[in-house]
Amino acid sequence: MKACKKFAAIAAISARSNLAYVSEALGRTLFLAVILYIFLRLWQATFAEMGATRLGGLTLAEMLWYLTITEAIMLSAPRLAQQVDEDVRTGALAVKLTRPISYPLYCLSASLGERFVRFAVNLAVGAAITTLFVGPPPSNAVSLVAFAVTLPLAFVLDATGNILIGIGAFWLEDTSGLTLIYSRLTMILGGMLIPIDLFPAWLKALVAWLPFSGIVYGPAHLFVHVESGDFVLTIVKQAAGTAVLGLVVWLVYARALDRISAHGG
Amino acid sequence: MCIHQRIGTTKSQPDEDRRMNAVEVHELYKEFHLRKGGLFSRRTRSVAAVNRLSFAVSEGQAVAFIGPNGAGKSTTIKMLSGIIRPSAGEARVLGMVPWKERSQLVRHIGTVFGQKSQLWLHLPPQDTFDLLAQVYELAKFDYLRQRDLLVERFGLASFMDTPVRKLSLGQRMRAEIAASLLHRPRLVFLDEPTIGLDVVARQELRDLIREWNREEGLTVFLTSHDTGDIESVAERVIVINHGRVVLDGDVAAVRQEVSDSRVVEVKFDHPFEWTDLPGVRVLSSSTYVLRLEVDRNVTGVETFIQKLLSAGSVADVSIEAPPLEEIIAHLYNKKESDPFAPTLKRR
Amino acid sequence: MFRKLLKYLRLARAYVSLNWRIHWQYKAAFCSQALAMALNDLAWVSFWALFFTAFPVVKGWTAKEVVTLWALAAAGFGLAHAICGNALLLPQIVTRGQIDVWMLYPRAVLPHLLLGKMSATACGDAIFGYAVYIFFVRPDAPHLLLFALLTIAIAILFVGFSVLAGSLAFYVGNSETLSEQWFFSMITFSTYPNSLFDGWIKIVLFTLIPAGFVSALPVEALRNLSLTDALLTFAGALAVLSVGSAAFYIGLSRYESGNLIEMRG
Repeated sequence: MKACKKFAAIAAISARSNLAYVSEALGRTLFLAVILYIFLRLWQATFAEMGATRLGGLTLAEMLWYLTITEAIMLSAPRLAQQVDEDVRTGALAVKLTRPISYPLYCLSASLGERFVRFAVNLAVGAAITTLFVGPPPSNAVSLVAFAVTLPLAFVLDATGNILIGIGAFWLEDTSGLTLIYSRLTMILGGMLIPIDLFPAWLKALVAWLPFSGIVYGPAHLFVHVESGDFVLTIVKQAAGTAVLGLVVWLVYARALDRISAHGG
Repeated sequence: MCIHQRIGTTKSQPDEDRRMNAVEVHELYKEFHLRKGGLFSRRTRSVAAVNRLSFAVSEGQAVAFIGPNGAGKSTTIKMLSGIIRPSAGEARVLGMVPWKERSQLVRHIGTVFGQKSQLWLHLPPQDTFDLLAQVYELAKFDYLRQRDLLVERFGLASFMDTPVRKLSLGQRMRAEIAASLLHRPRLVFLDEPTIGLDVVARQELRDLIREWNREEGLTVFLTSHDTGDIESVAERVIVINHGRVVLDGDVAAVRQEVSDSRVVEVKFDHPFEWTDLPGVRVLSSSTYVLRLEVDRNVTGVETFIQKLLSAGSVADVSIEAPPLEEIIAHLYNKKESDPFAPTLKRR
Repeated sequence: MFRKLLKYLRLARAYVSLNWRIHWQYKAAFCSQALAMALNDLAWVSFWALFFTAFPVVKGWTAKEVVTLWALAAAGFGLAHAICGNALLLPQIVTRGQIDVWMLYPRAVLPHLLLGKMSATACGDAIFGYAVYIFFVRPDAPHLLLFALLTIAIAILFVGFSVLAGSLAFYVGNSETLSEQWFFSMITFSTYPNSLFDGWIKIVLFTLIPAGFVSALPVEALRNLSLTDALLTFAGALAVLSVGSAAFYIGLSRYESGNLIEMRG
C-alpha cells in the first residue's frame, strides 16, 4: 500500500506540473476543430450515401462522439518512449536508478499524471466542439462507468508499450522509427478514425489479437454504446495486454540493468 | 558616394582613400522597449542599449571593442553589419550605411562569431568553402587563388578534407576565420574568436589575425573578454559600457591600467581584522577570506605586505591581474572624476 | 529577372547537393526516417482507399482518385521541404535569432535561408508520392508529365504556405503553436476530397487554408488532362508564395527595428 501511495504522489506531482500544458493544449482547439469538422462532413456524406441511420451499430452523433474520445486519447499521449530513450542515452536513467522506486514504475506513474491532465483538456475542447455539431453525448450512466473504468487501464497499457520501446534504446541506435510505427499502429489498428466494427472481416480478426484496440477503441466505444459483453472483453484485453507487455518490459529491463552494471552506465 | 572606387582597395591605392574611415559612428542611439510583467501587462520599460556612441576606425586598423556583458557591444555590431536599424544617429561602414545598403555591404565585410559557426558541421571545410564561392559568386580563378592562399597561410591543408565535427576547436576556428576571408572582405567583425581555445591554439589564431591585419590591410573589429586577444591583436581599444564609450585609446593605455593594479586573495587561519589602506580597495570579505585590489602606484609593496601580515595569521595568498570586467568597471567609475576622459586618437 | 532566377537555381543546386551529401553520410538514419514517412503515408492512403471503396461517398471517386490525391499532396509537400527544409523551421529560426547569419550574405534572405536544410522525412514523402502514383495509377506519358508539373506547383504552394505560417513569429510572440496548428490544418485538409465541403468553408479552403489548390484543382486536372485546372493550380501556388514572401519581408523589416526582443525578453 505504501508503494501505491508513492506512485499516486508521483502521478499527482506530474499532473500539477502539467497544468502548464493547459495553454498549449487549448492551442490544440483549432486542430481538433478541423478534424472533427472534416469527419462530420465525411460521416454526413457517408451516412447519406449509404442511406443508413446506423453504421457499425452507431448513429452519426455516436460516430462523432466516438471520434472525439479516440482523438482525446491519442492526443493526450505524452512523449514517453522518447523520454525513456533520452534517459537511456544521456545516462539519466542510471541516476534515476538511485531513487527508491523501480524505474519503469516511476515512468508509468509520472506519465499517467501528465496523460490525465492532457486528456481532460482535450476532452473538454473536443466535447464543446462536438456538442456544437451533433448535440450532447449519447452516453448513459452505465456507459460512463464503463468508460471511466477502462480509460485508466488503456493509459496503463499504452504506457507499458511506450516504456518497452524506450528501453530498446539500450540496443538500438534509434528508437524514433519504432515509436512512429507504434503510434501509427495504435492509430490505425486501434480504431482511431473508424470503429473496428467497420473493418473488413480479415482485419477485424487480426486486430482481435493485438493490444491496440484496448487503448483506443475499447474505452471510446464503451463511452457511446455499452454492452456488458464488450465491457468484459475490453477489460480482459487490456489486462492481458498489460500483463504480456509488462512481462516483456520486466525481462528486457532486467537485461538492461545488467548492461548498466557491466558498462558502468 | 562613389562606392565603386573603393572596391578592391589594395595597398597601392592613393593616399586619399587610405585616410578613408572603415567605420564611422556618430551619435548612434538604440532604444529597446522591454515589456515588463506578464502577458497582460502593458508596462514597457525603455532601455538605451546604445547611448550616443561616436567613434571612427580607419582602414587597416585593428580595434578591440570591449565591455562587460550587456554593455551594448552586440547591439552596436548588429547595427554596423546592418542587421538592425538604430533609433537615431548615423553610421557608415566602408562608406555605406549598413542598414540601408546591407546587401552591398556584406560583400565586403566578414563576420566570425565564436559561438555560431558558418562551417557545415558534417562536411569538410573544403565543401563549405566551395559553397561560399557560390554564395558570394566569386570568379573561379579568384576563388581558387584566395582559397589556396588561405589554406597555406592558415595551415589548413592537413584537414581540408576532414569533416568539421572531427576537428579540434583550434583547427575549426582557423578554418572559420579563413572562410570569412574567402571573399576578400576589407573589414571583419570577430566576436570572441578565441573562446574555448587552449593556449597554443589561441596564440596561433591571434598571430594569424594580426598577420592578416598588418600585411593585407584588413580592418579588424574584435570583441573579446580575453585581455590576451586584445594585447596581441589590437592597436587600439574602445571600451563600451551602458551603451557609451568609456575609453578610446591605445592598447598601451589599458595595459597601464592593468599593470598597475593587482587582485590579491588572502586566506587566513583565524578571523582577521583589516583596516583601510590608501590605494587598496576591498573587493570582498568573509570570515576567513579577503579579496583586495591593490594599486601599486599608491601603496608600496612593502607597506602592503606588512599590513597584510599584521591583519592576521596568513594561510595562503594568490595574486592575479584583475579580470577585464573589473578593469572596465573601474575605468567607468574613474570616468566621472578623472581627466582621463574618452579621447579619440586616430592612427 | 530570368537571370536572377537562374542564379538562385544554381544556388539551390549547390545547397541540395551539400544537404544530400550530409544525409547520405548518415545513411541509416536518413533511410529509416524517409522509409518511416513513406510507410506512414502508405498506411494512410491504404486506409482511405479502402474506406472510399467501401463507402463511395464522393461521386466519381474511386481508389484511384484517392491515391492520386495523396500522391500529389505527398510529392508536392516532399519536394517543397526536401529542397527548402528550413521552411518548416522558420518559427524557431526567427525566435532564436538564427536569422542574423542569413542576413549577412549577399543573397536575398528568404530563398537563401530556405535552402539551408533538407528534411529527410520530406524525401520519404516525395519518393512515396511518385512511387505510389506510378505503380498504382500506372499513368501514361502525358499524365505523368502533368503530374510532375503539378507536383512542382504544389511544392511552390507548400513553400509559400510554410513561409506564411512561419512568418507569424515576426508578429506574434510564442507563435510556434499557432503556426503549427495552421500548418496541420493545411496538410489535413489537403488530403481530403474537396467536394466534402461547401459554403464558406470552401472559400476558406482557397484562401486562408489554401488546401483546395491541392485537393480540388490538381486532381481534376489529372482526371481530365485539363490545362485550365493546371494553370489555376499554378496561379494559386504563385499567389500563396507571394503572400508568404510579403509576410516574411515585412516581418523581417520589423525584426530589423530590433523590437522583437521585447517578445523574447
